[in-house]
Amino acid sequence: MDKKKLNAKDFINIGIFTVIYFVMFFITGMMGYIPIFAVIIPLGLGILGGIPFMLFLTKTGKFGAATIMGTLVSVLCFLMGQSWISIPFGIVFGFLADLIFHAGKYKNWKYTVLGYCVFTEWVIGSMLPMWIMRDTFFAAYRNNGGTDEYIDAVMNLTANWMLPVVIVLGVVGAVIGAYLGRAILKKHFVKAGIV
Amino acid sequence: MKPELLLSVDTKQRFSLDPRTKLYMLLIFSIVMIDGKTDGISFWLKPALSLLPFLLLLSGRRRKAAAIYLSVFCVSWITNLFLLDYLGTAAKIIVSLLTQLGMRWFPGAMMGYYLLSTTKVSEFVLAMQRMHIPEAFIIPFSVMFRFFPTISEEAESIGNAMRMRGITGKKFFKNPQAVLEYRIVPFMMSVVTIGNDLSAAALTRGLGNGKKRTSICKIGFHWKDLALMLVVTAVLLVFLFFSGGLK
Repeated sequence: MDKKKLNAKDFINIGIFTVIYFVMFFITGMMGYIPIFAVIIPLGLGILGGIPFMLFLTKTGKFGAATIMGTLVSVLCFLMGQSWISIPFGIVFGFLADLIFHAGKYKNWKYTVLGYCVFTEWVIGSMLPMWIMRDTFFAAYRNNGGTDEYIDAVMNLTANWMLPVVIVLGVVGAVIGAYLGRAILKKHFVKAGIV
Repeated sequence: MKPELLLSVDTKQRFSLDPRTKLYMLLIFSIVMIDGKTDGISFWLKPALSLLPFLLLLSGRRRKAAAIYLSVFCVSWITNLFLLDYLGTAAKIIVSLLTQLGMRWFPGAMMGYYLLSTTKVSEFVLAMQRMHIPEAFIIPFSVMFRFFPTISEEAESIGNAMRMRGITGKKFFKNPQAVLEYRIVPFMMSVVTIGNDLSAAALTRGLGNGKKRTSICKIGFHWKDLALMLVVTAVLLVFLFFSGGLK
């Protein structure tokens, strides 16, 4: 079998780890239904997803794996009734992460952390409708006779700084998650002979 | 995650659709319903469109889900349109956030639920093959749905074992590291082992040989698929041209 290309065994591994990753996403997503906590979804996802993702990388370590995983996670989001906008985000960020991992030959730790940070940013896609929805929500609110000062106050609280905050939180969560994942990998999985 | 996600056994259905039709409808739903306009033509269009998942769920014999869906949607729709003006400012924001969720997100979610709960895995795989989606996506995808029930079983038994040792979610803040580690690590260990078994079994059955696979499922477009697709396409066109389009 070709060592560099993905084979059937890798495909099965991708499927398994995507499920685990998606469960982690689901757990953090549940917290996100409390409106204020929606901002911390990327942070929680980065931390929780780090453990399966690091194991996933050591198991497959080939070009294309992260792209497929990003696509599958976002397609699952779509099937669960979220917007289709997340699908292109999943594909693009998965592919970018793959390029970074490839540049580090799937072994260099710095590239791995960087790649995982990029991969985590796909979650913006699934959160994007919130911003779009926010605008129409406030427009409707204004039509219903809400005061302009109040709307402006709420807009300032939630508006434009949200996106950079989400990106930064995603990166922070991903870095924590990557180190946590590596620590757990070393502590348990290497010892048990699974890697 | 309920085990009834993507059935692997055959159920009697009076009204079976092609998986591709269901996917197409889901796509339309995620475009039309996520938009928040309720004035003009949307006032008639959206309730009409949201009746569709209700009827489909009924036809798929998911009466309970259908009833819940209908009541949630009606309550959110009516509250959002007629009752919001009578509330105070703070209550208005909270209530309207909830109703927006029920109005915009819930129909799409129910459509997804209908798709997943009335389609068999092999039907879905065959539909993806017909859409010329590469094997690199089909195999992980079918593995994923094979794994959702397994994962909930594993998580449950590990949760039971950890409860005996007093490591439960309630004590999360006492010792978060232990809760995370003692749950996730054994969970992933067992899942990886199951995955290895599964890939060995699948390879024995010739999964990786690159030949075109055959299937005993029969899927195809019938008049009802055509009718539904025409209906939702018409809705999309009306939505795009008569309500100012996407904003």
